[in-house]
Amino acid sequence: MRIPGLGNAADNPKHVTPGDDPEHHPRARDGRAPNVMRIGEWVPMRQHRDEEEVDFAIVGTGAGGGTLACRLAEGGLSVVAFDAGPYFRPLEDFASDESHQSKLYWTDERIVDGENPLQMGSNNSGKAVGGSTVHYAMVALRFRPEWFKTRTLMGYGADWPLDWREMWHYYDQVEDDLKISGPVSYPWGPHRRRYHRRAHEINAAAKVLARGAEAMGIDWTPTPLATVSAPHGDAPPCVYRGFCTLGCSTNAKQSVLVSYLPRALKAGAEIRDLAMVGRIETRNGRATGVHYFREGKWRFQRAKNVVVAGYAIETPRLLLNSANQEFPDGLANSSGLVGKNLMVQGNQAVWGVFDQEIRSYKGPPSLAISEHWNYDDKGYGPFAKDFFGGYSYMSQGPLPQLWANTQASAHGLWGEALVSEMQRYNHVAGLKVVSEYMPQERNRVTLADVKDQYGLPVARITYSWCDNDKALNRHALKFMREALSAAGGREVWDQGDDTCHLNGTARMGADPRTSVVDADCRSWDIPNLYVCDGSVFPTVGGVNPSLTIQAVALRTADRILSRRR
Amino acid sequence: MRPRLDLYPGYDVLAKRDGPSWNAKTREVLEKRLAIGPETRRFFNEAEWSTMTALAERIVPQPADRADRVPVAALVDHKLATDTRDGYRNAELPDEREAWRLGLRALDSEARARFGTHFHELGAWAQDELLKLAEKGDLTGAVWEGMPSKLFFHQRILADVVKAYYAHPTAWNEIGWGGPASPRGYVRMDFDRRDPWEAAEAKPGREDEAYQENLQVGR
Amino acid sequence: MPMPSDRASQSPGRRAASVKRRVAPVRVEAAVHPVVVLAAAAAGAGLLTWFAAGRSKPLGLAAGGRRYSPRGRDVTASAAQRLNHASTMLAASVLFDSGLEHYRGQFFNRAMYTPIVVSSVTLAASLHGAGDTDPGSSRVRHGVQALAGLTGLIGFGFHAYNVGKREGGYSFQNLFYSAPIGAPMALTLAGVLGVVAERVRDADPDEPRLASLPAGRSLAIATAGMLAGTTLEAGLLHFRGAFQNPAMFVPVTLPPLAAALLVRAATKPEGASQSSAKWGMWAVSAMGVGGVAFHAYGVARMMGGWDNWRQNLIDGPPLPAPPSFSGVALGGLAALELIERSRFRF
Repeated sequence: MRIPGLGNAADNPKHVTPGDDPEHHPRARDGRAPNVMRIGEWVPMRQHRDEEEVDFAIVGTGAGGGTLACRLAEGGLSVVAFDAGPYFRPLEDFASDESHQSKLYWTDERIVDGENPLQMGSNNSGKAVGGSTVHYAMVALRFRPEWFKTRTLMGYGADWPLDWREMWHYYDQVEDDLKISGPVSYPWGPHRRRYHRRAHEINAAAKVLARGAEAMGIDWTPTPLATVSAPHGDAPPCVYRGFCTLGCSTNAKQSVLVSYLPRALKAGAEIRDLAMVGRIETRNGRATGVHYFREGKWRFQRAKNVVVAGYAIETPRLLLNSANQEFPDGLANSSGLVGKNLMVQGNQAVWGVFDQEIRSYKGPPSLAISEHWNYDDKGYGPFAKDFFGGYSYMSQGPLPQLWANTQASAHGLWGEALVSEMQRYNHVAGLKVVSEYMPQERNRVTLADVKDQYGLPVARITYSWCDNDKALNRHALKFMREALSAAGGREVWDQGDDTCHLNGTARMGADPRTSVVDADCRSWDIPNLYVCDGSVFPTVGGVNPSLTIQAVALRTADRILSRRR
Repeated sequence: MRPRLDLYPGYDVLAKRDGPSWNAKTREVLEKRLAIGPETRRFFNEAEWSTMTALAERIVPQPADRADRVPVAALVDHKLATDTRDGYRNAELPDEREAWRLGLRALDSEARARFGTHFHELGAWAQDELLKLAEKGDLTGAVWEGMPSKLFFHQRILADVVKAYYAHPTAWNEIGWGGPASPRGYVRMDFDRRDPWEAAEAKPGREDEAYQENLQVGR
Repeated sequence: MPMPSDRASQSPGRRAASVKRRVAPVRVEAAVHPVVVLAAAAAGAGLLTWFAAGRSKPLGLAAGGRRYSPRGRDVTASAAQRLNHASTMLAASVLFDSGLEHYRGQFFNRAMYTPIVVSSVTLAASLHGAGDTDPGSSRVRHGVQALAGLTGLIGFGFHAYNVGKREGGYSFQNLFYSAPIGAPMALTLAGVLGVVAERVRDADPDEPRLASLPAGRSLAIATAGMLAGTTLEAGLLHFRGAFQNPAMFVPVTLPPLAAALLVRAATKPEGASQSSAKWGMWAVSAMGVGGVAFHAYGVARMMGGWDNWRQNLIDGPPLPAPPSFSGVALGGLAALELIERSRFRF
């Protein structure tokens, strides 16, 4: 039982901003790390010297790295987890301001090209302890079971070397750990346990999706979200402020920062914030440790094993930047696939104006969802499926800057036209997909000639749609247009070019010639080098990847621990 | 095109500053932002500044009689002065600081080439015409040094200027956004429902009701 | 920094002109919050009812007019007072709960004002009866309680419609977040217990009967049913809260147990001691009061705690709801009094 006034989220941080600057001075040092759940408090943190050969050095503390660090530490191993980003205290550091909160994103330089150059930064890349889960929209969905074997069962993509039944067990575990708030019964997929918290109340924007779905004759459901609808430990329930993708200042959101990392610290893991890993060292075919830049100079941490968990851009970038005499093409790259098969997911949307006030900025952005097109392989009539793969679509709630940018860039408005259209902000509702794009080797991460502030070559990200992707885009836009109109939307327009998430650049597989890591996320080439993040996905599915990344991380931890016994 | 209305009369996000909708960090951030005055200039030189100010007024025009104008040009200048980046750029664009200097210079050059005066001395129509050409990618003089005007327009001008405008409380008031919301978020999320701390929309013929309700916001 | 006054001075001519144009004599000044107006109206109605109830009551068996004292001499009067206590608690719970929740709903349907006024009136009538030691019923009180019973049923209809009309129909999602389907029944329970109170006053103290059934036994079965119904409503909302705190299991376990004890009491022979059932009722009563404290803790635990009361009082666990259990339990105690044919000291 907790009495308020003891510094947790129940307190209104009326007068408190931390005196330090987490973006320039590391917080996790001197034997302690921030207690992100309590204002101004710290937890003890075990620390290792660089010369000490720790069991695991993990690069990145996001959905993959943070989850893995927790489980390995709880399994008794010594773990040091590095993150290039700051160690934020959400209760105190997070402002309700779009511009200011860009501090959560990867704003270091990257180059984009290809036929359909990607938008990076706030769109899909985080830089913080907790990784992109600090800014993600908390959508927590399981893969459709068949997606683990798309090549065998459905004729496209590549098979995962994992069995869906095993993954089901790990999904159970992640959902329990994060206290996912979801509907009492879920309309799609095999039977699953009830979610640990009830679904959130849906806002008007979500009801628009519901009305549209009912009019089109398909199922819809409140979205399972990783933000609690009833208290959990120090986390209060969501206050529906709508700033989810700009950082949750109440800690209702179960990012890795507030869920797995506190457990990791308690189990003896060390976290090093503002620590950019620039290079992995190898000798005689094994990884020996990582070079990292922290507090003004380069350092080297010795480790028995190294895990790369920097998400699908930084992971291949690090592997390629670590090329040496032993591995001139980059580490773990005998297949030549490091950096290739970059997949994003389509994020097309339709938008419309309603007579009623919607005020979609209230509540998490995606409160309702339909996964119909993930489970219907044939379609019907005008919506017959002429592509492989699937998509889900969700309601939305953009904040002013994002909405204005959408109106300008995707809707082509500027000047008086833009400003007067923006006045209808409170009457807008839209539908947005998360759609399955195909793995293509030509979509890739390579090293550019430009160097960043650490002197390291930055990533060049090349991306283009294939015909299947375009067919899917057409289908999705057409369906959503009709659904939105059926729900009462007028002046419906398409936002045709937007993507989300990043996967595939160090794919897992059963054959070392066609994959980078095996089913246990262990690289084929270097037995003590692992990749544990979204890079390992052979296919991307039509759902947000975070839950699957975390389930894979839990499984990887189990596999590592069981091998040691 | 609809005329711009006073849809949320009397509404001021800043009235909630000391209430539960704002936290300390938000107050700190907004105080710094509001300290950026319309003449605060650290990055652009004088010539670039003139072009920038004129450009901003075309992209996000503001009513002439507005009391609390958004200092758009100054906010863009601030972004560039602090080297705040987006985290990516198209391969065909130089980095954002260089792109802006180059682009503003090029735009001014094109104005002189086509109309004989500086960009900031042109009338609104002429400025818009030039911008539309840039938008389509039809400004291709050597002065652009190979930077596609279309990309500059879309990814630098539109992105930076529009975001600067909507980073300011005046713009938030204009569109009736609830504004900062922590620790207090929202209760009523249904159609046509608003919490007492949200903006009341003026319905035709009942503007005064909205005005009275908006005066209560923050009380 | 722009201030509201700046905006007002921005175009003073326009503002002044528009205000001057409106000559609305009945227009409520924005300075007085509409909820305050509603509260005043409800309180006024309650006061009127109080006086009317006193004037309508015929002189009872005792000479010299009505008397107010802690407990009537006859078991029927005592039980009736206790039943009025029960209605008081239930009506008060409904008054504040419906007030809060209908305020949340912005009174989007005019009918939503009804339970505020009716529960105020019921509260006044019940309070009046709770102090009335004389046997003999009051016509006004009787009428008000019947009105309460009817209003609750109509409210239930409205709420059921509200749940079903939403996207997804009668789903758990809508049961959680639309109008709470069982809540209006608390007003019906208040009304039923209030009507029973008046009937019991008129009944023969040696052999009290309700609709030709033994009063005590029938009332015991009825209140056991009421406990079960209240449990269902609390259970639904605690299920929505995912039973995240172990204390949330208490309102779904204790009241059914107590209800079972009541049913058992109804089967026991005449005049037998009912102490276990009595303890059960007191336990449920205490639980209802303790529930308010737990709910207050729940509000404190939300983001911003009590400082964010404008959100958390409404979004958080409803403070006025748990005492409805206490109200029903008091009704159960009245039933036990009648079964035992003797007044309880407490």
